Amino acid sequence: MSADTQLDAALDLLRRLSPLEIKQNLAKITQLVPDIQEDLLSAVDQPLEVARCKKTGRDYLLCDYNRDGDSFRSPWSNEFDPPIDDAAYPSDRVRRMEVEANEAFTVYRSLYYEGGIGSVYLWDQDDGFAGVVLLKKESGRGEDTAGWDSIHVVEVDERGKTSKSAHYKLTSTVILHLGKDNDAVGNLTLAGSLTRQVESDLAIESIGSLGRDGGHVANIGRLVEDMEGKMRNQLQEVYFGKAKDVVGDLRSVASLGQVEQDRRTQREVFQSMSGK
Amino acid sequence: MASAEVVSSFVQGTPPGELKEVVQSIQALTSDGDPSLLQHPKVKAAFQNYNESQLVCAKLSGGSQHVLVSPYNRLEGNKYYDTTTSTSFTFDHTTQKASNPQSYTHDSTNNDLISSIQKSLATHVAEHYPAQSSAAAGSAYTVASPSETPTEIAILISATKASPQNFVSGRWRTTLLYNTGSRTLTGTIAAQVHYYEDGNVALNTTKQVSENNVGDSGSEIVRVLAKLEKQYQEEVNRALVGMNEGSFRGLRRQLPVTRQRIEWEKIRGYGLSDNLKGNK
Repeated sequence: MSADTQLDAALDLLRRLSPLEIKQNLAKITQLVPDIQEDLLSAVDQPLEVARCKKTGRDYLLCDYNRDGDSFRSPWSNEFDPPIDDAAYPSDRVRRMEVEANEAFTVYRSLYYEGGIGSVYLWDQDDGFAGVVLLKKESGRGEDTAGWDSIHVVEVDERGKTSKSAHYKLTSTVILHLGKDNDAVGNLTLAGSLTRQVESDLAIESIGSLGRDGGHVANIGRLVEDMEGKMRNQLQEVYFGKAKDVVGDLRSVASLGQVEQDRRTQREVFQSMSGK
Repeated sequence: MASAEVVSSFVQGTPPGELKEVVQSIQALTSDGDPSLLQHPKVKAAFQNYNESQLVCAKLSGGSQHVLVSPYNRLEGNKYYDTTTSTSFTFDHTTQKASNPQSYTHDSTNNDLISSIQKSLATHVAEHYPAQSSAAAGSAYTVASPSETPTEIAILISATKASPQNFVSGRWRTTLLYNTGSRTLTGTIAAQVHYYEDGNVALNTTKQVSENNVGDSGSEIVRVLAKLEKQYQEEVNRALVGMNEGSFRGLRRQLPVTRQRIEWEKIRGYGLSDNLKGNK
């Protein structure tokens, strides 16, 4: 069996098994097939973990993109923890954009999330640069628990015909879990993730002290804001609308005889009104 | 954890109506290492355990009726009985197919009560469980009396929806035990939904229920069962609405308080306090 087939099978399993156990199931799959571990880890989004920056005291989020071996880079200090000698850092230009993007998304987070934790990491690429915008918020009040993790990976291709625009590709995943535990409903968990993608060519304006690089940050900001708004609506539809509909398809609260009767009456009323 | 245990846990975690797909993926993952893993005794036990605890139902070969499997209506080996159709049948736990139907009358001291519950349950199921159309879907109910616990009557309802073309599946399970001595009705009601189009979203909910002083006629017992089911379903619906308006809204706003989208070119001028930004 080729590694590709195995990777596809692993991803298929992960899209079926409980979204609350992604981490455990990843470990189990790589136990069965150790060879696909690296590919699998970079293809699967997991809830984000938090660390505190030793230098600035601010919290930041951990992911594959700010990891080097067992160390993670803080977006606030640009330092790895634990420190490593030959770590790879973003170029000066990309780091300046990264600092700007972290500032901008801190504002974004305070306006949309009114709390939570966020981090932006950027890195150089041959044809431009790429980055990831991470946002996380959790809450727990008595019988209710809730958590949201956003992972937006953006690739910026700057090789275009003119330098006035660039090509942006955004892949966004939102991991959302909600839970309730009380006497009335028993134990209820509603958890999972959705992934969406968008590509577009955008003009680059000159904004602030970074000039056109400030324009890149603004473009990424608009893309992420737009995508999160759409995904929030889709999550709402799937988590609350769809879930309730499917339960209703399995068991009807109203008696089916009554439902049929109501339909017949409605039809009759409609027919008499349309004069048939 | 041994490989057989890993595979068993995948089988046990299968969403409603998706066992075939999960088995295919397990096969693709393990065919190089250990192609016989699915035949391992532990894994075979996991299939049985999964089907029985999920009250998996299947169309009886040669008939139109659906039957379900549970620990309560098992005879021996892979043989189960169904009091609704008065048949015994063989269930293949890997393929989830019911075959070899044979006429069977279950011998129990509670036969009169069982058939009385049966009658009321038939009406209740017809009133509240819509017919499911696709191959992996269906609903079934049965009343069983395990011979090792003669004072208990198991009342089981299961409905599965599977719509792979729409990436949706779901299952409802009512598992209640009526005690003929204490006249109590106890057990669980559970609902699951799985949505997996460009994602993986699962609703999982189970409630323990218990009711004392239940009457001793079939109609009385099913009346209480219907009440418990209705309460539970309404509570699940209420919880979903409450989460939408509560926890979900509290995580991320639809728009900032200003009700305007961000002007990214002016973001440096938003002038939030360090406290609001979360800077320490």
